[in-house]
Amino acid sequence: MEKKKENNKIKTSVWDKVFVVCNTLFMVLFVIITLYPVLNTLAISFNDGTDALRGGIYLWPRKWTLQNYSTVLQRQNLITGAYITVARTVLGTLLALAANAVLAFIVSRKDFLFKRELSLFWVITMYVNGGMIPTFLLYRGLHLTNSFWVYVIPGMFSAFNMLVIRTYMAGIPDSLEESAQLDGAGYTTIFLKIISPLCKPVYATVALFVAVGQWNSWFDAMLYNRMSSNLTTLQYELMKLLSSVTNQSASAEAMKNAAGTVTPTSVRAAATILTMLPIVCLYPFLQRYFVTGLTIGGVKE
Amino acid sequence: MASQEKKRNITWKEIKKQKVLIIWSAIIVAYGVIFCYLPLGGWIMAFQNYKPKDGLLHSAFVGLDKFKQLFSDDTFIQVIRNTLAMGVINLIVTFIAAIVFAILLNEVKSNGGKKTVQTISYLPHFLSWIIVTGILHDALSSSGIINELLLKFHILDQPLNFFAYPQFFWPIVAFANVWKETGWNAIIYLSAITAIDPSLYEAANMDGAGRWARIRYVTLPGIKPTIMILLLMNVGNVLNAGFEIQYLLGNGLVKSVSETIDIYVLKWGISQNDFAIGTAAGIFKSFVSIVLIVIANQIAKKNGEERLF
Amino acid sequence: MRKKMAAGAAAAAVVMAVLLAARTANDHESGDIKEFTAFFDVSENEINEGNEIMELIAQKIGARCREQWLVGKSAEDAIAGFIASGEYTDFISGSVALYDAGALVPIDQYWDNCPNIKNLMPAQKWEQFRQSDGHIYWIPQFGVVHGRSVEVLHEGEAFWIQTRVLKWADYPDIRTIDEYFALLEAYAAENPVMKDPFHPGEEMDNIPFTVLCDDWRYFCLENPPQFLDGYPNDGSCIVDEETMTVLDYNTSETARRYFKKLNEEYHKGIVDQEFFTQNYQEYLQKLASGRVLGMVDQWWQFAYAVNGTLEIMSDQGCGYVPLPVTIDRSVENQWHVKRGAELSAANGISITVSCEDVEGAMKFINDLLDEEIIKLRYWGVEGEDYNVYENGVYYRTPEQRAAARNPEYSSARFCMYPYFPRTEGMLSDGINAFSPEYQPGEFFDALVPDVKECLLAYGCKSYVDMLGTNEEPGPWYPMYSYSEMLSSESEAGRVWEQMNRVKREYLPRIIMTDDFDGMWKQYMEDYEFCQPEIFLAEMQKELEHRNMP
Repeated sequence: MEKKKENNKIKTSVWDKVFVVCNTLFMVLFVIITLYPVLNTLAISFNDGTDALRGGIYLWPRKWTLQNYSTVLQRQNLITGAYITVARTVLGTLLALAANAVLAFIVSRKDFLFKRELSLFWVITMYVNGGMIPTFLLYRGLHLTNSFWVYVIPGMFSAFNMLVIRTYMAGIPDSLEESAQLDGAGYTTIFLKIISPLCKPVYATVALFVAVGQWNSWFDAMLYNRMSSNLTTLQYELMKLLSSVTNQSASAEAMKNAAGTVTPTSVRAAATILTMLPIVCLYPFLQRYFVTGLTIGGVKE
Repeated sequence: MASQEKKRNITWKEIKKQKVLIIWSAIIVAYGVIFCYLPLGGWIMAFQNYKPKDGLLHSAFVGLDKFKQLFSDDTFIQVIRNTLAMGVINLIVTFIAAIVFAILLNEVKSNGGKKTVQTISYLPHFLSWIIVTGILHDALSSSGIINELLLKFHILDQPLNFFAYPQFFWPIVAFANVWKETGWNAIIYLSAITAIDPSLYEAANMDGAGRWARIRYVTLPGIKPTIMILLLMNVGNVLNAGFEIQYLLGNGLVKSVSETIDIYVLKWGISQNDFAIGTAAGIFKSFVSIVLIVIANQIAKKNGEERLF
Repeated sequence: MRKKMAAGAAAAAVVMAVLLAARTANDHESGDIKEFTAFFDVSENEINEGNEIMELIAQKIGARCREQWLVGKSAEDAIAGFIASGEYTDFISGSVALYDAGALVPIDQYWDNCPNIKNLMPAQKWEQFRQSDGHIYWIPQFGVVHGRSVEVLHEGEAFWIQTRVLKWADYPDIRTIDEYFALLEAYAAENPVMKDPFHPGEEMDNIPFTVLCDDWRYFCLENPPQFLDGYPNDGSCIVDEETMTVLDYNTSETARRYFKKLNEEYHKGIVDQEFFTQNYQEYLQKLASGRVLGMVDQWWQFAYAVNGTLEIMSDQGCGYVPLPVTIDRSVENQWHVKRGAELSAANGISITVSCEDVEGAMKFINDLLDEEIIKLRYWGVEGEDYNVYENGVYYRTPEQRAAARNPEYSSARFCMYPYFPRTEGMLSDGINAFSPEYQPGEFFDALVPDVKECLLAYGCKSYVDMLGTNEEPGPWYPMYSYSEMLSSESEAGRVWEQMNRVKREYLPRIIMTDDFDGMWKQYMEDYEFCQPEIFLAEMQKELEHRNMP
């Protein structure tokens, strides 16, 4: 027995070392490949626009300038857009997290009578869509258009996020719930005091998804709040800046008579970097929630 | 692990006991009906000759004409094939990539290293497809870096224009997806991995398990529910294989393999001011998605796995 | 603690949102200045609020307008969204769908007090804009010329060539497509590379010829045959003036010769081997690098984007000039048609039913057409944005020119209302054009040295001189304005789509194939299979309709 263990130890040592080396190499390679487009965009963002047009910029700007950033940051409604975006990100994330957590909780209760039906009800919503126009008509009917609330209310419940949380919650041993029920706790208490504290990692994950979604939204601003310039979002303002050559269906006639403005690729790059920064800063903040393990304070499964 | 369901009878006693749950469910269902199901009334557009001026209520009713129009068009059938193929390839490839990456990353000892790599890995998710396809186009062009390398190592004697050949298109799309989304997709798996009970690892170590055994018997089973759920969900999305990548990377030579349902709808529906086509195609997609997930769900049920419903 | 923080953050967010929402109110009337909104289904740069010249104009005419541009999705989606919601901006420029939806206000019922609008065009021209219910719903935005038209810029299509190629060959007289390619071949053989101005000591390959086929921009690949036969840009067909019939340029002998030529040149390596897979961005990059010796394209598609960089490389002679090329020396070209000729009755700006002050809106457009305001829009303020010589001619100093090109300065200073109507051509003084772009002297002075030198060598003072200018072909011109309006509703529209599909599929292949004749035959077969005669018959009908006195 002892010998076998020793042999195993020696074997695993060698393979293990090989593995660690390979893994590290792989990670390094992965980082290089994934980092390259970001560095490339960063380089272009610091490069003069007219010069950037010639292409050939890889990791370092050829003709340094801060002009692109100043063009973006001096965009008129940017501040308003920033406020609104921050507001909708914070509010939207909190609302969505709460909503999906509650729904996931309900659906993950083993003895809930309508568990299957409720799940099915929501799963189907992921694959059906009425279309842009009917949705617009609905929101208008609900007086959500030209209002801030169209940013946070319609998206509150999402089957995807709900399922992610539900899966996680289903992994929490039943014994916890049972012993709490024996102690006389109602569902609300169980949700708030027992289950939720254990769900930090998944809550952080869903919060991240929703926050990023909210942060990057502009299409809804354009569709529903076009007339209210004070409800614009950061991304929408940036998208307006990028009025340029990637028009999908411009007419030749119109372009012929255009005032001739073309937004440089470099401005697009600067806008991208500016949008990315806050999210990149958000993640370390959330990382502390990705704490290992459930603290099992009682019955072992 | 998830324990069995206990099928309960619907008695008043039970309902009273689950009062809180039921009330909340009712509210949530009301929300769902309003925001998710009500707009489906718009599906009637697919059966009309929709004109913006007539609106939903007054446009001429044409029954299944639009569907007939779609399915009698060979291009549409081809487009379905393309979308399905790219959808399936992307599904398999990105899935494996994300899981493998998450597991490998988890094996990295240094916490600082782990965090750095993870943060960098999801950055491309924030770049728009315009930027990413631009880089890809550049890299794969005749004067791009890939051709340079291939020439240097004498694998080719002449630069190859990758975008001129239909057979390269689907792999390129798959690669683009992996490149851009692996880090982001892995986030879920990484967070699931952190949820695994550390005592299981300790137990494994005590039994003399090596790294591979640890992964096989602790890590993988630990994230299996997450994998299954995501797999089930994405099976339904297989016809949503995209629009932007294919639109940006496609060209006339590879058109027969690059056009997706969404591109078709743009070209033949919206650009022609025919909105009904888009809705009809959308209904078709929804129908296929639901059929797929029902089947997938049944298979999962039979195998005792985590299910969608 | 964390819960409290979260709650606090949420509360703060809600408060912020409510405050901001309350701030909305109606900014519509700040003082006595009326404010309008406008939406255009194209992408342009949104100018700043409080833009200097916008305010100046507002002071003078008592109104301003916030312009909104197309962002993201397609124009059709945007317009459909408007129609579905029933709420529009005060002004809108979009498609015929708006008229169909009953969203537009009949202009002719209000124009009696607006002489500038009523007299914008002669009554006969206005007739083209009349809809079936007898009213006029939109005002043309471009191409209306009052006074002498200035022909310096060629905005249309041409075979362009770099000045260095012409200089090397001592400014030869190039008139046919064969001569054009022969010249490119000769130059490329002698000069395969050029100096890279950004990496001194390094060299870049020259690309003798390229053409763009990205998506809807592929017209430069498919329509040269009409020009090569000496016809103007009717776009979707040729109009034979003598017999008043519509002809198809896709199947002509000239077309076959032209594409065969391209095929030969492709195999000789003269045509860019990647012409077919490059996208617009890459195409511009190639041009901007100065490596492309020649291409066929329309001015607006490349000039604004790349001329800036080409200027820097003027010493190497990278600027482009057009050449009057046709299929044979005997054929006269009609590449350039006078500016006023290409007036399309399918587009224009309208006032919508959502506008609460139609009279005011009409007055707004009317005032914008005043000469004084047009000067403010396009030239700016005298002494600041432009100066005047003693003989009364306007000009700009290099600093003023640079300022006008700077996007940030432009957004804060210039307010061109670019998609609102204007009158083009000369101003009433007869010596200044309505815009610096068209000012002959200004234009010539602002030219890059190598282009200037080249034009002078040919005895020309402008791009148009190189090609020669032509009168408007006839009241039907341009026919493409009709084919653009065809939709899948009509059989002709469906056939037109099919034809385009076939062309897009085959044209690159016939250029790249080794068996041209075989592939051409196949192309013609598939093309005929679409029944193009249905489309042509429809165009014939329209031609006759337009030609009626």
